[in-house]
Amino acid sequence: MQTTIPSSSKVISSLLRADFTTQWRNRRAFILVLIVPVIILISWKGVVDKMGGAFALGSCITVGLTAIGLMGYSNSVARDRDKGVFQRLRVSPIPGWAIMASRILVQLVMILLMVTAVFIGGNYFDKITLSSSGYIMGYLTSLVGGSVYLGLGQAIVGRIKNAETVNSVSRLIYFLFIMIGMFGELGILGKEVAEISKWSPYGTVKSILFGSMQPAAWDSHTSMALLATIGYAAIFCILGIKWFRWNTR
Amino acid sequence: MNSQPIEAVLEIEKLDIYYGAFQAVKNVSFTVKAGEIFGLLGPNGAGKTSTLSAIEGLLSFQSGAITVAGFSMKEKPLYVKANIGVQLQATSFQPELTVSEIIRLYAGIYGVKMPDEKILEILKSIQLQEASSKKFGQLSGGQQQRVSLVIALIHNPRLVLLDEPTTGLDPQSRRQLWERMESMRESGHSILLTTHSMEEAEAVCDRIAIIDHGQVISVDSPQALIDKHKNDPEVISASRKGKITLEDVFIGLTGKAIRA
Repeated sequence: MQTTIPSSSKVISSLLRADFTTQWRNRRAFILVLIVPVIILISWKGVVDKMGGAFALGSCITVGLTAIGLMGYSNSVARDRDKGVFQRLRVSPIPGWAIMASRILVQLVMILLMVTAVFIGGNYFDKITLSSSGYIMGYLTSLVGGSVYLGLGQAIVGRIKNAETVNSVSRLIYFLFIMIGMFGELGILGKEVAEISKWSPYGTVKSILFGSMQPAAWDSHTSMALLATIGYAAIFCILGIKWFRWNTR
Repeated sequence: MNSQPIEAVLEIEKLDIYYGAFQAVKNVSFTVKAGEIFGLLGPNGAGKTSTLSAIEGLLSFQSGAITVAGFSMKEKPLYVKANIGVQLQATSFQPELTVSEIIRLYAGIYGVKMPDEKILEILKSIQLQEASSKKFGQLSGGQQQRVSLVIALIHNPRLVLLDEPTTGLDPQSRRQLWERMESMRESGHSILLTTHSMEEAEAVCDRIAIIDHGQVISVDSPQALIDKHKNDPEVISASRKGKITLEDVFIGLTGKAIRA
């Protein structure tokens, strides 16, 4: 009897099909992730002119990225690990990286969908338009920014084994990021918090989104924010990979 | 690639597994022959699951060798995994996927062609044709267990690993699973089974290894184990009804103390 190992591309396509189906069946949760940034955008209708279209879009996309990485991704990984889904896949002839690559690809597609929804919402409700290079760069920087939160989600699920605790902790961190990020940058919480907020993962992701969607506004601060974002992504991903265990025992 | 006929489908040689400083498996060796149902019995914490996890590739072992269908776990882990079918203890599929989608996913992973007609045929064979579009999370425990077994066999593996497969099943489902295991043996599959049920071990296993404190204490057929140990004082003292059973031998060899 011959032993055949299916090619990585066939394995990944089977995993992707299953992971997209699972995501589709959990679409209620994802629709909420889509709706929240668009609702924020609508609620800012009166002040978009003052704050600038790119700034408004960047802020809303940052909220969406935080939700996808911290709540969507980390919770789905924690739940499947808890149910033994990963262990069942790992006893099959597939490399471990393929299992995670499929999960992350699905999240990257979700990020692109969320960004598209924000762009459409911004155009429809607030009449925000960007140059074509602004839109393209917006998508690209969203993927870079998204990797920070996916990495952070991975680190959380690596550090915490219990799925319910992952859920609570990721929600708490999401809330803290949004609250400190939004109020901190306005200076309401003091100058020091404003500075911390500016260089936090929330602040740097928002800066690069703003800069990329309005290329004329890209300055040395944006370049430093891009470096900081890549640094955050690298640190969180390394910690997430190092800490992650396939089972909860 | 390996096309040589092999007598022993699974060979475990001097296996050692450590968790930090604690040695869970000590110098374990046994073989499972082609077309054999082999039972691994032991109290909780004896080292059964660690041994099984090492064969499944879920746990790395410090020394020794595991060979499945001629492939070494250390050198060719994917080839080993391609030759084994596994039924884990816990529910282990995405609850949102339907039964057909799960079959299609694992067929893709193992490189098995799976047209719709074949899926229906498989589902008919486990009396789940009505459930093809049901989500896995909506199935009863017995139905989930049947799906899990179908997935374990989807690529026609040389060796099937069943980890306490009848836990929580009603007598009808349990009896049906025993029949399935026997028909798998007849079709040439080898089975490595862990169980706490002595009745099950006696009913289906050709040979049994009793394992305790990480070491194999005794390996033989159920009747030969009874014959070999029926005069041991510990076994006689464990006997409750005069006639020595496999359970008496098991208790006699592993002790009466309850394990964590």
